[in-house]
Amino acid sequence: MKRLRDILILTIIAMNLSAIEHEDILNLRYGGVWLQDQYLSPLLYTGMQVGIGNEWWQVYSKHPGWAHVGRVDANFGWTHNAPKSNVIYALGLQGGWGSYYAWVFALAGNERTPKHSIELQLGPYLEADYMGRLIAGYINKPYSMDMSIQVEAMAGMSYAFSAKKTSYRLRYLVRTNMIGVDFVPDYWQSYYELQENGINGTVRCAGLWNHRYLNHELTFDMQFPHSTWRVGIRHEYLEYGKGDLWFSREQVSAVVGTCFRYRVDGKRNLLTER
Amino acid sequence: MKHWILAILTLCVTTGCTHPFGNVYDNTPAGNMEALWSIIDEKYCFLDEKDVDWEALKQPYIDSAKLLAPGDKLALFDLMERMINRLEDGHVNLYTSFDRSQCVSWYKGYPENYDERLINELYINNSRYAGGMYYQRIADDAIGYIYCGSFEIGASSANMYYILTAFRDCKGIVLDVRNNGGGSLEYAYTLASTFFDHDTTIGYWQHKTGKRHSDFSELKPIKIKKDDMPSKWLRPVIVLQNRHTYSAANSFVNAMRYGRNVLLLGGMSGGGGGMPLSYELPNGWLIRFSSIRMYDADHKSIEGGIAPHVYETLRSTDKDDLIEHAVQLINKAYE
Repeated sequence: MKRLRDILILTIIAMNLSAIEHEDILNLRYGGVWLQDQYLSPLLYTGMQVGIGNEWWQVYSKHPGWAHVGRVDANFGWTHNAPKSNVIYALGLQGGWGSYYAWVFALAGNERTPKHSIELQLGPYLEADYMGRLIAGYINKPYSMDMSIQVEAMAGMSYAFSAKKTSYRLRYLVRTNMIGVDFVPDYWQSYYELQENGINGTVRCAGLWNHRYLNHELTFDMQFPHSTWRVGIRHEYLEYGKGDLWFSREQVSAVVGTCFRYRVDGKRNLLTER
Repeated sequence: MKHWILAILTLCVTTGCTHPFGNVYDNTPAGNMEALWSIIDEKYCFLDEKDVDWEALKQPYIDSAKLLAPGDKLALFDLMERMINRLEDGHVNLYTSFDRSQCVSWYKGYPENYDERLINELYINNSRYAGGMYYQRIADDAIGYIYCGSFEIGASSANMYYILTAFRDCKGIVLDVRNNGGGSLEYAYTLASTFFDHDTTIGYWQHKTGKRHSDFSELKPIKIKKDDMPSKWLRPVIVLQNRHTYSAANSFVNAMRYGRNVLLLGGMSGGGGGMPLSYELPNGWLIRFSSIRMYDADHKSIEGGIAPHVYETLRSTDKDDLIEHAVQLINKAYE
């Protein structure tokens, strides 16, 4: 019983310690999606998508210049071809974790409480990406998917300023893949064959020569008296291929988000710091 | 301020990128015809088996398509239908919002061997229905009769338990898959598992691996797994088939050949031994085509159909000669 109590106390302390610098931004997205999946169709499919995601960051306590960030995103899209004769439904899931160094340049105020500041961020990011696609009207081969794990380079720049007792921050963040692994079936390979034989030969080393991914977003954070809100726009572009088979996916979304902290530590309603 | 402008410009430029992978073929009558010809040329799995010179068809059909008015969809459809019907394959169909092409040559000239009225009035007039199948005891309750008209619906182990319980003291079963146009291969093999008491290789399949007509993978065995259906029937079974026993039903008949105490009776089955896949043309029309070749356990293609052990034709108008013959054969087995 005593051990259980100790574990409980330690857990609470650990949670509170991390909560001091732990920040979450929950976001909702709505926008357009363009899909080119030559495994399923030679036609371009366009449509709409909705998404939900969570981004969190935490400063390393021993190295305040460094922080780590994680993201989880899910989206669902519905698209059709130009003649509107067929539909592709797409379900995307992405998760990643990265670490970056931040350089802060105070333009006004002082370093501890700058009124205007610019921050530059740079670091690596590891991302797992999946999008499953189902095409209506097909027989026996109605689905396809993107699957990859990539090491990416992440860079960001933000400008924070205060006006009329309200704080704002404009941030641009970009990630692009460097190297990783992805899944690409052969043009002739049915998923029946993959189910039988496994994924031998379909997983390969992927880099900028055969797999290009760009994810960037522009966000604007606003601190109101009791909450912090985010609006922005996100653009993602992916293309990869093997032989005759090429895939591309482009998504543009409007983003609305809200920031919250696990623990209110006397700095209630702070603007998102990163 | 500069940073704002830079960020917005970057976003606008990248968002406005054009897609590098456009359609390979133009969305014109000739472009669509060429796309259709190429899909079949590169992906259809029976070009080296069927007696058709596909290469020779290309230019005449593209030239004919060039003469069509761009908006004349019906004429283009008819032209495309003529070209793909040269393959004489029921699995090759063109789907549009106004029509679907059909090939009838693969069953023309074969006896019908099926009269729905006779079956409804004489053999399933007091039937039960489970798992997509009608079942009833016939011939003085000595024989179980099952009519399975499609594999769009699968029979569960519970379905088969009740069906076989209803037939528990019968001498045998007449399993009728005439006019069964197919459906799910999985459902067909699960039903076949009822009649197997050990795992059995009943055939092979072979995938396309390249553009050439002869580019295929190694043969992969297809097995009926005895555990797929817990309920078992190892007494005599006679499977009735006709030319309209097609696709998954044709594969079912092929599997049943290797079951214990199974006899095939009727006419040649319809074939359709290529698993179909789909693709689209630049105008959004959908083409279905055979893509995965299937063979029997002796490595013979089942595309052309499967011959019965016992040939029988429907001659009478007051009884089903195939069912009556099957009943005789089962009774004879007990004499």
